[in-house]
Order: sequence, then C-alpha cells, then structure tokens
Amino acid sequence: MLSRNWKTFAVVGLVVLGALLPVLIRNPYFLSVIMISYTWAIAVYGMNVLLGYTGQLSLAQAGFFGIGAYTVGVLTVTYEMSFWISLVAAVVLSSAVGFVVGLFALRTRNEYFAIFTLGVGIVIFLVIEKWESVTGGRLGLIGVPYPEPLTELSHLYYLIFAFLLLTIYVVASISRSLVGRGFVAIRNSEDLARATGINVGTNKQLAFVISTGLAGLAGALYAPNIGFLGPAIANVPITFNMLLYLLVGGLGSLSGPLVGALLVATLQQFLQQFQEYQLVIFGPILVILIIFFPSGLAGLWHRIGNRLASRRAGSHTEESEGEEEPTKMTPTKETR
Amino acid sequence: MSLFFQQLINGISLGSVYGLVALGLTLVFGVLRIPNFSHGALYMVGAYVTYFSLTSFGLPYIVAIAISAVVLAGMGVVLERLVFHPLRDMPHTHAMIGSIGVLLFLTSGAQLLFGADFRRLKSPLEGSISLFGIGINQQRLLVIVTSLVVMAGLYLFLKKTVPGQTIEAIEQDRVGASLVGIDANRVSMMTFAISAALAAVAASLVAPINLISPTMGDVVNLKAFAIIILGGMGSVPGAIIGGFALALAETFGSTYVSSDFGELVGFLFLVVVLAIRPSGLFSKGV
Amino acid sequence: MSNRVFRVALGVIVLVLMSGLAVACGGGGGSGDGGSGKQTVNIGYSGPLSGPAALYGENALNGVKLAVDEINKNGGVDVDGTATEFKIEALDDKYLPNEAATNARRLAQQSETPVVFVPHSGGIFAVQGFNAKPPTEFILAAYSSVPEILEADNPNTIMIPPRFDNYMEPFVKTEMDKFGKKLGLIPTKSEYGIQWTKQVTAEWEKQGGEVLKNNGVDYTSTTDYASPVTQALNEDPDVLFVGGPSQPTALVIEEARKRGFEGGFIVMDQAKFEEMETFTDKKNLNGSVGVFPTIDYPGPGTDQFVKYYEEKIGGERPPTSEVALNYQAMHIIAQAMADAGSVDDPKAIMEAVDGAAGEIKDEYRPYGIDGMTDDGHLNGPVIATQVEDGKYTELKVPQDQ
Repeated sequence: MLSRNWKTFAVVGLVVLGALLPVLIRNPYFLSVIMISYTWAIAVYGMNVLLGYTGQLSLAQAGFFGIGAYTVGVLTVTYEMSFWISLVAAVVLSSAVGFVVGLFALRTRNEYFAIFTLGVGIVIFLVIEKWESVTGGRLGLIGVPYPEPLTELSHLYYLIFAFLLLTIYVVASISRSLVGRGFVAIRNSEDLARATGINVGTNKQLAFVISTGLAGLAGALYAPNIGFLGPAIANVPITFNMLLYLLVGGLGSLSGPLVGALLVATLQQFLQQFQEYQLVIFGPILVILIIFFPSGLAGLWHRIGNRLASRRAGSHTEESEGEEEPTKMTPTKETR
Repeated sequence: MSLFFQQLINGISLGSVYGLVALGLTLVFGVLRIPNFSHGALYMVGAYVTYFSLTSFGLPYIVAIAISAVVLAGMGVVLERLVFHPLRDMPHTHAMIGSIGVLLFLTSGAQLLFGADFRRLKSPLEGSISLFGIGINQQRLLVIVTSLVVMAGLYLFLKKTVPGQTIEAIEQDRVGASLVGIDANRVSMMTFAISAALAAVAASLVAPINLISPTMGDVVNLKAFAIIILGGMGSVPGAIIGGFALALAETFGSTYVSSDFGELVGFLFLVVVLAIRPSGLFSKGV
Repeated sequence: MSNRVFRVALGVIVLVLMSGLAVACGGGGGSGDGGSGKQTVNIGYSGPLSGPAALYGENALNGVKLAVDEINKNGGVDVDGTATEFKIEALDDKYLPNEAATNARRLAQQSETPVVFVPHSGGIFAVQGFNAKPPTEFILAAYSSVPEILEADNPNTIMIPPRFDNYMEPFVKTEMDKFGKKLGLIPTKSEYGIQWTKQVTAEWEKQGGEVLKNNGVDYTSTTDYASPVTQALNEDPDVLFVGGPSQPTALVIEEARKRGFEGGFIVMDQAKFEEMETFTDKKNLNGSVGVFPTIDYPGPGTDQFVKYYEEKIGGERPPTSEVALNYQAMHIIAQAMADAGSVDDPKAIMEAVDGAAGEIKDEYRPYGIDGMTDDGHLNGPVIATQVEDGKYTELKVPQDQ
C-alpha cells in the first residue's frame, strides 16, 4: 500500500529530524526545554498505559517519578555510583514499589483507586520531604552529575531521545499485542473482560507496574538534566500537570503523550510572562477537553484524517482497535 | 493533664471544621459518585466571600457567613450544570479530571483577583472563657457550637424533610428513585449547593483562627478525602466521626510523637485502611 | 499501524514547529545600538510570582525594578563610553529550585542577561550548579541569608543579605539575659526554617541554655496554630523561637500571648516586624528580637529610599528589607559594570563589586553595605532590633570576618 510506505517514510524522516535537532538548534536553552518535555512525555506514556488504555486514574504518578529521580540522585551524589547502574536501580525500584502498591491499590476500583493513589502519592512526597538524612529533605540534592562519559547537553539529549523512542516502541508493541487489547477490554468493562476470560487482576497489575516503571525512568533521566532535585517534583501538582499533557495530547492514543508534553510544556515556558493567567486558562481547557474532546489533539487529527481518507477512498477502512476512538468509551457501569 | 485537655479542645474544634468540609464532599460522592477534587477550592472561595462581606460591606460576622453560604450554594449549582452534568454519563475518570480542572481554575483565579497576600479575618469574639481551669478561646467555642448545629440541621434535613429524603433515596438506589419519580437533576443540583455551602461555612468559621489565602484549601481538601475514605464514602455519620478522628489523631500524634508524624498520620492511616478494607471503614457494604 | 505512524508524525511536526518558533523568538537580549553610544542590557530575575510565596517574590522584584527605573531615568550608567540602560526580564519559578534553574538558563541564554537575581536558597543552589561554567557564564545575585551559599565557592555568586548565622550570638544573648534559659521551638518547617533552627539550637546550647522539644509546623500549610503553641507552652519555656512568613508568624505570636506566655521571642529573619504589626497588636511583639524594620533603619539613604518607594509603589505594604537590599544590590552591580568597563564579563564585574559597593551614592544605600568579601558576600555593618515597650531599639550584629 502506497500510503503506508509514505507514512513509514515520514516517521523515519521525523525520527531523523529529531536526531538532528541538537545540530539544528544551537540554542542550549531551547534544547533543554525539549529535553524536559521528552522526560515528561515518558512519564505521561506510563500514565497513558494505565489511564488511556486500562481506564484507571492513578494520582501517584509524580510520586513514582520522584522515586526514580531520587534513586539516581542519592546513588550518584551520595554514593558516587555510576549513572547507568543508578538508572537501572531507579527503574527497578519504582517498578517494585509500584508492584507492591499495586497489590493493594488494585483491590480498590474507580474513584477509590484514584483517591488511594492520591494518598500514596502524598505519602511518597512526604517521605521524600521528611527523610532528611537520605534525600536532603527540603533542601534537596545538589549537583547530580552528567552520566559518564557524556559531557555535553547534546549528548544528554540523545540519551533522553533514545529512551523516548524506546518508550514509544514498547508502548506501541504493548498496545498492539494481546495484552494491550486486554487492557482496553478492561477499560471498556471489567465484568465483560472477565467474562471473556481475561485475567483482570493480573492485567491491571501489569499496566500499573509498566506505568510506575516508566515514571521512574522519566525521573531518572530528569535528575542529571536539571542537576538538582527538590521534593516538589514528587508532589501532586506535578501529577496534575502530567494529566494536562495527556489530555491535550489525547487519552489512549500513541502520539498523545508526546504531542501533549511537547506542546503544553513548551507553551508553559513561552507563556511565562503570563504565569498568573496560565492556570486560569489551562483549568477551563482541561474541563472543555474532557467534556468535548476527551481524545485530545490526537483524536482530533485522527477524526480529520478519517474524514479525508473516507472521502478519498469512498469507504471507511480504519482498523478498529479499541484504543482508536476513546470518545466512545462506554462508561464503567459496575455497581460498587 | 492540662495539656491533654487543651489539646482535646484544639482537636475537637479542628475536627468540627474537618467534619463540615468532609460532609460536603461525602454528600456529592454519595449522590453522584464523583470525588470532587475542587471541594477545597470552594472552601477557599467561601472564606474570601465572608472576608469581603465583612470588610467591604461591614456586615456582622454571622450575616457574612450566611451570605457566603448562599453565594457558594449558587456556585455549586453553576458548577454542577457546567461541568458535572455534561460528564454524568462518561467514565468516572472524566468527572474526576473535570473537577481537577475546576480546582486549578479557582485557585489561580483567586490569586489573580485577590493577590497572594495572606489576609486576616478579625474574629468578633476575642476573649476566652475558663472551663474547669482550662482557658478556651471564644472563637473556638463558636466553631464547635456552630458546626454541631449545622451538622444536626443537615441530619434533620436529610431524615425529616422531603427534599432531604430524595437525596438519601438517590444515594441508596438510583434506579428505584427514578422509578418513583424523583428528579435526579434537581437532587444533583441541590446536593452540590448544600456541599458548597457547607464548605463556605467551615472556611468562614476557621478563618479567624487562621489566615485566608488562595492556597488555604489545598491541605484541607486532601484531609477531607482521607476522612471520607475512613468514614466510608457517601456516609454522613462516617464523615463526622472521621473528621473528629483525624483531627484528634493529628493533634495527639504531634503532641505525643512528633509534628512530622502528626502531618503524616492521616495519609498513612488512609493507605493502611484502604489496603485492608478497600471500601473504607464504615462503608455500607455496597 | 498507519494511524500510529500518522500520530507520531504529528508529534514530530509539532516539535519542529515549536523549534521554529523558539528560534524566531530567540536572541532578544543585549540589543546594542553601536553608533549612538547607547545600549540596553537585560537583567534577569527568577522568583516566586505565584503561589503562597508570591508576595515575597514581588517584594524582591520590586527592589530591582526601583533601582533600574532610577538608573534609566538618569540616563543609564556609563560603561566604557556607552550609556547603558537596563531592562528587567522576570520569570516565575513558583519557588521551585528546578524551575529556577530552567529559568536562569533561559534568561542567560535567550535574553543574554549577564546577571540573574534569585531570591530563594533552593533556586540559588540549583543555579550555582552551572552559572560559573561554559557555555554561558553569568552572575547570580543571590538573595537568601543561608551561609551555605558562600560555601559553594562559586566565583560568580553575589550573596546580598546579611548571613543569618551572624544574628545568632546577639539574638540568643539578648533573650537569654532578659528572660531565662529555656528555649521552646515553633519555627516553620521550610528548608530555610530547618537551617535556622539548627543554628539557634546550637548557639542556645553553646551559651549554656536548655532547648526544649521542636514543635515546628509548616506555616503555609497548617490549619490551626493552636496545637503546636499549646505543646510548646506546656514545657514552660522562657523564650520562643518562631518565624516564617510574617503573617502566620504574627498569628503564632498572638496565640502564644493569648495563652498567657510572657517571655520573649527570637524571630527568624524571614518575618518582618513592620508586616507583623499590621496583623497583630504591637504590644504582643514586646520582648522580641529580629531584623530591623526597613522604614526606620539607620542606613545612610534609608529616608530617601522609603520616600521613593512610597512614591513609586506605595499601597498598604511597607517596604521591607527584601525590597531595600535588592534595590541597593542592583545599584552596586550597575556601578560595578561601569567600573569594570564591561556588561558581560562576569569575572571583571565580580572583581569590581567590592569597590563599587563603597562608591555608590548615599541616597542609593538604605543599608550600610560598603564592600564585598572575598567569598562574594555584600558586607557592612548590620543592625538588628529588639522590641521594647513598642519601640524598636538597635542591636548590633557582628560583620563577616
């Protein structure tokens, strides 16, 4: 199929462009904004696996981001360990904590799950803030070094870019696999999913661990990029920010997290003069999006694309994957 | 021993405020199954309305509280219509996200309008009275008494009046309630109105012993969530008992253990309780 | 598959568009106008302009603004034959260190600001990680009294306010002599409050006093101050150590007085008496030690400064030391640029600061700063205060060695 070839070509081209960005953009500040957006995007991909595909709202995402960031921070600053070992440790630790929390959290459903994870998020934040001897408390950790042997900003860019591509690849593979379809089935109806033989508990647990692991990875990459860690990065407002990125980009879509993080995080930077007005505007945007466009920009793009495609081809030839039309999510009808 | 009684009074007055805030949250949850994350922001707006009624219009304290309750009730209805009504048939996560949007809007809007300054509401009752050798601040006494009166009034309203019973009916059986002709829309608006008004009363009562600022609702909001989970979401007595329990745990936790512990205790308790009993302590076993 | 490809494509397109935008927006700063002998230099600021600390951030920013307005009104400073005016680029960092770091990078690289003011210790520590390294070196004008700022050994940092450890000895001595040996603690639990608490505790014990249990709470997130105050008073202290933002501090003091506490207060330098006065009865403050109210500060140019502040900013809020010290620091930096003959060589400017601090006109000196120490601290005689019968009397504070 011609169009498929064309699209593959486009993706390859854009990935190459992404790889060339440090050469094209000589301005280090702007590069660092993009790097931070990528980092958020990775954490938001995690959120998307859980919320967009599986339909569970976790409000502890920033907490796990914080666990990842502080693992790298503590290991590299206090124990002077290699960044690479710390990175692995960060992902393992955030996934492991995620696993344990999931065991309990996933016994709750819907709004209980959201509030339970809110509680978990606050506890993680408070522990980071109070555990002065390890985390530096409110003062934070200063001077997280660049990963050896990287020395320049552009090196770090490639590191983060590579992990972003890896994340997208992994999430894409999952969503295409049987497991991913299981997630979507759970989102649409837990009872129905159970009736068709899907192990709801295991699948939810898996989605939760993936989401916390990605949050931890994002945090681990954030640490050397900023070089300084304070407890605020693990606090609930950061989770709300991620939620905003995800909704603007598109709930349950593959490009949503990246688009949302790049667009909103960059806008937030450029609209800093209007800082006071930002949330006054972003708050209502969140409400409008969730009411009218829950599939975000990606959904909008998708709808336009569909319309054009069906007009041209005269027929509707979309693959009908559950994730494609989140607007049609059937409400969870379970009686608690 | 005097320390114990002093802290008991402090805990009870704090608990009655927590209870009022949690009541509003639990009512909305009971009727609409929405955890309204913007509840703390409504609380904050309520404090500002009282403040300006007092300072700009020179109204008496009690009148200012009443006005604040009425204004916030109106705001509650508007929110229900604009945000939560359109989201009623969507997945639960959507309504939660909508309420987060409202929270961000109200907090930043308040800062834009009123500035980030702390403001102080002067209490009309400055003195203190002595009971069994313990000095009790009159404002604190007012907080406790008013809260108890409001709680009792709400209880009577829910149990003894027709509109109140429609709320209870919907809480218990949505389908059955609509079968007997209860208008779910009206009940939903009414619930939001009552919920916001309760938050306004709580904020107006606590304002004289604390400060007013755009972020004053954040912490209370989180605590109210801990309370309604402990008390069983949707349970009115649960919210009241939970409010006092949390406040006393915090007060005595920081008195006899450490202030860090006092800060953490509520959320630790919340996580532990949910881990053991996923539907809360006093849930009705739905 | 095809849709995914499309969406990823969309993502990258957005990315490219944004980068285009950034490049277009970039390169604003330092616009010289070579021929006519005039130039405008951007001055950066990153501090809390929203959230609970916004008031503090605005005060610090106002100080810099007042100085810049004054300099520009007088036709700028003469840097190597070029009349140099200033323009402020202010960004909000919500009091978050990581945001401050991002902002400072942006200011230095986008707006080419040779100097960035940061008014909180977390942000200062974060910025110190890169402000003295290539590719972009810039001067960090650090407004925070935490002594660790100097220990970082960062050659491009100017620490503006008096370091708080210098207050300890006179504060502790005054209060202990006057009220007794038992110190109760109810400070705020910010990073800053924790640092202060450690130092006060150490000094109090050094002078032979007894320190009681720490009942500190986070002033900005506490719903009820009664409980920590009750606890602290239960141990029957002679002196209480309190402090955080002015307004909650006033409430804590009031609560203690209401419960019959008659001892003294050591007030952290973050809280200002002139602001507390508007929140609580002034007689509650009797017996306290703390920083001197700016309005009555016995500095060479305090009166002119207060008049100027009231003219330009006015309102209900009195000028505090945040305003005054940042104002003076900005004047010193401008003078240092003139002396160094450069607006963008951090090393040359840093070397000129010590001299410049003594050269600026008296009317630009609300405080007595007259030089800079080798480790980058603006130095001069510091006067604190003790409150007696509603009056602020002077209390001498030792200078840097």
